[in-house]
Formats: sequence, structure tokens, C-alpha cells
Amino acid sequence: MSNSKTNTAPNSFWKENKGFLFIFPWFVGFLVFKGYPFLSSLVYSFSDYNLFEGISKWGIFNYLDVFTNKKIQEGFMITFKYAFMTVPLKLVFALFVAYILNFKIKGVKMFRTVYYIPSILGSSVAIAVLWKAIFKDDGIVNMLLGIFGLEGPHWLSNKSAALFIICLLRVWQFGSTMVIFLAALKGVSPDLYEAASLDGAGKWRQFFTITVPMITPVIFYNLVTQLVQAFQEFNGPYIITAGGPRGATTLVSLLIYNNAFKKYAMGLASSQAWVLFIILMIFTAILQYSQKHWVYYSDSED
Amino acid sequence: MKKTITKFLAGGMAASMMLNLAACGGSSTATNDSASTTAAQGATEAAQGATEAAKTAAETVAKSDGGNGTTLRISWWGGDSRHTATLKALDEYMAANPGIKVESEYGAWSGWQDKIATQIAGNSEPDLFQVNWNWLWQFSPDGTRFADIQDLTDFDLSQYDQSLIDLMTIDGHVLGVPVSSTGRVFYWNKATFEKAGLEVPKSFADILAAGPVFKEKLGDDYYPLAAGTYDLTILLTYYMQEKYNKQWVVDHKLNYTVEELTDGFDFLKSLEANHVIPTQEKLTGDGADSLDKNPNFIDGHYAGLVEWDSAIKKLADALDENQEIVIGEYPADYGTPATVFKISMGFAVSPNSANKEEAAKLMEYMFNGDGVETLGLERGVPSSHKAQEKLEASGALQGLTYEAFKAASSNAPFQLSPYYEDAALKDSAEGAYQEIMDTMSYDGVDSKELAEMLIEAVNEVEGK
Repeated sequence: MSNSKTNTAPNSFWKENKGFLFIFPWFVGFLVFKGYPFLSSLVYSFSDYNLFEGISKWGIFNYLDVFTNKKIQEGFMITFKYAFMTVPLKLVFALFVAYILNFKIKGVKMFRTVYYIPSILGSSVAIAVLWKAIFKDDGIVNMLLGIFGLEGPHWLSNKSAALFIICLLRVWQFGSTMVIFLAALKGVSPDLYEAASLDGAGKWRQFFTITVPMITPVIFYNLVTQLVQAFQEFNGPYIITAGGPRGATTLVSLLIYNNAFKKYAMGLASSQAWVLFIILMIFTAILQYSQKHWVYYSDSED
Repeated sequence: MKKTITKFLAGGMAASMMLNLAACGGSSTATNDSASTTAAQGATEAAQGATEAAKTAAETVAKSDGGNGTTLRISWWGGDSRHTATLKALDEYMAANPGIKVESEYGAWSGWQDKIATQIAGNSEPDLFQVNWNWLWQFSPDGTRFADIQDLTDFDLSQYDQSLIDLMTIDGHVLGVPVSSTGRVFYWNKATFEKAGLEVPKSFADILAAGPVFKEKLGDDYYPLAAGTYDLTILLTYYMQEKYNKQWVVDHKLNYTVEELTDGFDFLKSLEANHVIPTQEKLTGDGADSLDKNPNFIDGHYAGLVEWDSAIKKLADALDENQEIVIGEYPADYGTPATVFKISMGFAVSPNSANKEEAAKLMEYMFNGDGVETLGLERGVPSSHKAQEKLEASGALQGLTYEAFKAASSNAPFQLSPYYEDAALKDSAEGAYQEIMDTMSYDGVDSKELAEMLIEAVNEVEGK
């Protein structure tokens, strides 16, 4: 009796945990391509590792550099600016469009597809190149402005205009956020709206007192993911403005790339990546903590 | 219950995304071919490919059928015509040597250095590859990261002037073949100058005088000269070397006093103030990767450039039909002309290659042997004596490229420092030249301050 028990123990372990087998390839990939670099970058961040000269000393000088170097600080400031401009705009815009597309309009499916397309295209290099062509001095935007007798700025080479077009590219890709909102909106029970309209509530009232509270978990989810993505933006500034003019669009991720692959200062680049990581952790922690004050879970037990 | 799960999910998602981020920052430090290196490379290549408007594949691996003998990997950067000529030469080589299979990797210059740097850091560079002169110092400061050409008996190094070989030598190791040299030349668009009722300029006085005439006769958006931040640095070097009759860098130090350089920056500022060159804001706003792709150059709005002698074909091809490019005289207002002249490119062999001698044979074929005629002047005027004789005999040693080369090489009394083009100075995103010239053009900072910035930046790189 006891004998058979010990025999079956490993078998039943595999029977019950077959899943491990299925995730095994992913897990190995994760450890090799994510876990190892993740930890090694932490180690390197405490060294002066140069791609061609190796390591000659260890210490926290990279981190001191991050907090004292004007250029790096500027990079972080611009990234904050970028994230805090694009994330709210994108969320509001996505929610707004999702709300409209949630009505029963003729051809709504086509509209949904059309609005979703930019987020498929948006992160691609081709769109970034197109963006550059649209906003160059004799590009289509300045041509259109010219028709109305306006003279557009040098979009690509004016400090604030350049950051603006980079932000615009991100906000324009609101499709996937919109789809998630759309799914959430569909999940709000029609009973609530019916009851509200019987009580005489208008569309706006319904939106703010029923829709928004009911989808706060999804707003929360989108907020966190979008924030994280915005802090990591690379393609736009890299291709459209190359971080210029005068470093006005050098977001931290681009700065990390420049330090790592133009200056070969891997140690410094690693420490910048880690500071960015910690900043994002703090933001996420704050958002997680703030959840209980504004996020409503309908099936909450308390 | 569900609440906790949702919470956990959102948190988990976010955390794993950030994990990506931190990993991305430094992963290449860890593995040679890790995902992020490839990703970064991919982005570079993709960008480059897209900007080239699909003309050039960002990286093309051309494989041809060969025997089961040796396989050689070769890489180079360049434009379409160089690709075509090189591929043809390699095909001919393979036809003549059935046992050899050559795999080619090629693309445009932009992003090429990043790509090679990651390959070299990961010991995965090709058997032989085109190198920029300053790479030898950048990637192999102790002279051991590239194979010593002197050890390769199949390559005839005696076809090159000793002075050129010396320029490729670090600690007694010859790290590459000095394929060709090149210098900066003034090019003018004759058609635009004619439209303005002017002769093509022969001196700085002419150039400075042309600015206001262009503005008045042709309009605000016509300029006699266009210069990006690196071109401005070269103009500054030219002006300084001519006026003070001193080499730019001597003994690893910028060879000018703050006062002298202040004068130089005042000169650059006078170009912008006299409507000779567009501001950097205007130039960047044009949205072109380089001047030869700038529509304002193509249609004649920018009527002059300071470019490498080997670039003339590219520039002439880029111009609209009714425009005509001519080689300018070197302005000699302040002394003897002293243009920037350097080894334009070399070819190096990987020390990790299993077939160094085969690589040497291929180089011998390309630069001294039968490949010379096929390659023509695609890499500039070859420095190899044998190659020059062959091209002379076949009548290929003539035309604009050769004229430009002759002009540059006879107006270059000074040596260029191998660190002149170091990434810390020249890089278009992070380099000091860009930073300083932009500071001048955008912010109009005091010339003395700019001079101090430049001295500090150059001395730091030179003193490494």
C-alpha cells in the first residue's frame, strides 16, 4: 500500500502539472534572453564596462552620473513630459472613440477596423519614415497650412514642434487601447443604462456615473500598460528626429541606445536602464496602491 | 477573489513589461547575439532600408552556388553602383576559383558602424570587410583586434606607399589595406550661380559676397552653400589650417589657441549671417538624411557643397537635369589651401577567420589583380600602384571623380588625425561636432565659448 503510493507520486505530479511541459520552451527562452541579460545588466551597471575596452573598475559612479549629468537628467525630464502628455491624451481619446463606436451606428464594424489600423502600423518603421515625410518643411502638413495662408514651423527642427509630432504619433496609435475599452463597454450591463434612463439621466450623466465607474478596472489596466510603454518609446524619436533638435526628443530609451551602441558605454547604459526600471516600478506601485480609492470591482467581496 | 486575480494580472503584466525594458538596456553586454542586440540592429537596418526607399536592401546576403570548398564572408557599405560592381567582381572571382564561395553582406552607410561594432564585440564579423579609417583606433586600440596584413603572404602590400601603410599601422601591426584616400572638395552648381548672374566662386570673398546676391535675386530660400554640422567642422578645419598654416591636431592636442579658434567660429558665423549657408534649423527641417538627398540641393536651391572627392558621381546623379555640378577652386584668401584629406576606407581581415589566406587572395584580386577593372573607381581612386596602372591603361582613370581626387590630393599639405572622425566627435546623435555646431547655429553662443568647448572635446578624445 505504502509502496504503491511512493510510486505514483511523481507520476501524478506530471499528470497534474502537464502545463510545465508546455511552457518549458518559453521558460528557457525567458531565462536565456530575458532573465540572464536582466541580471547581468544589473551587474554591469556597477562597472565601467566598455564594449571594446572591457571593465577596469567597479562602483556606483554610473548611478552618480545618472543623477548629476545634465544630458541624462534632461533625457529623463523629456521622457516624463512625453509620458504625461501622451498617456492621458491617448486614454481619453481612445475611450471617447470607443464610446461612440459602442452605439449601434451603420457601418460601425468598418469604423472600428479603420480606427484600429494605426495601432498595427504605428509602431512600424515605415510609419515613422512617413511621419518624417509628412512633417518636413515642404511636407504635406506645411502645404495644407500654406493653403490657409499659415506658415508652419520647422516641425522636425524646432524644439517644441519636434516633441509634439513624436507625441502625436503615439496618440494616433490609440487603436489597441480603444479595442480594450470597447470590450469593457460591452461588458457594462444594459440594465443599468435602462434604469438610469427611466430615472431621466441623460447620455453624459450616464457616461460619468455608470460607464466610467464600471470600467475603472480596464482604465487602470490601460493606464499602467500605456505608462510603461510610453516610457520605453524608441522608434519614433530614433527614426523621425534622431533625438534632435538639440536633444529635444532624446527620450531615455534612445539615450540608453546611444550610450550603449554609439559610445559603447555599456555600464552607463545599464545603470540608466535600471534607473528607468525603478522609476517605472515606483509609478506602478503608486498606481496599484491608489487602486482601492478609485477602481471599482463589481464582484468585490468587501 | 476575482478582484485579487485581476489586480495580480495587471501588476504582473506591468512588471513583465518592465523586465523587458531593463533587459533591453543592457542585454547586449551579456550575450553576443542576444535578442536585443539583434533588435537594435534590426531597427537600424530597417530604418536605413526604409529611408533608402527600398532601393538598397538593408542587408542582403547574396549566396551563389559554389563547390563544397571554402566559404568567405565579406561585407561593405556603399551606394547602389558600388554594390553592383562589387557583386560582379565577386561573381567573376568565384567563376575563376570554383572552390571558393563568397557570401556578401552590404548596405548603406547609415547605421553600418553600429552593425559592425556589435559584430566585432561579439566576434562574429565577416572574414574580410570594408573598414573606415578611424575604426582601427576605435575597435583595436592595441593593434590586435584585426589581422596583421604583413602576415598574409598572399597580399602584395608593396603596391602601396609606405606613408599610407603607416597610417594603417598601430603598434607595428598593419591592420588594414589602405584601399583609397579622399579629400574634401568645393562643388558648385553652375546653373544656380548663372541664374544669380554670378561666376562660380573662387575665393571666400566671392562666397561671402554671393550670399546677399542670392537672397536678393533668387529669394530667401536660395543659398550659395549648404553645410551640415560635420561639413561645418570640416570648413572650420580648412579655414584654420589655411589661415594659421598649422595642422589641426599635433601631439594629440588641438593645435590652436582659444583666440585662434574664436576667429574660426566667427568666420563660420559670418557665413550664416551673410546668407551663405542655411541655419541648422532650416537644414534639419528639410527632413533629408544627407545633402545629396535633400530636395533643395537636387533642384538647385542650395548651390554648393563641401564634399569628398569620391562623392561627385553621387552628387551629379542626384541633381535635376538642368543643373550642373562643377569642381570649385580652393579658396586661398588667407594662405595656402589645406583641405581635409584622409584614408577614405580600408579593408581588414578578421583575426578569427579560419581562412585568412583565402581572404588575402580575394583582397589581392580586388585591389591589385583582375578585379580592379570591374571595381573601377567605385571606392574612389585606388591607392595601389598596380591598380592605378591598370586603370590608366584601360582609360578609366579620368573624368570628374579623378579630377576631384587630383584637386584634393594636391591641396592637402597636412595629415589628418585618426581620431578626427571618432564617434565621440563625429556621431550625428551624440558627437561633439554636432553638439557644438548646433549650439552655434541654434543658440548663437559666443565664439570664445564654442572654441573652448571644441578644444576640450577634441583633446579628450585624442588623449584617450
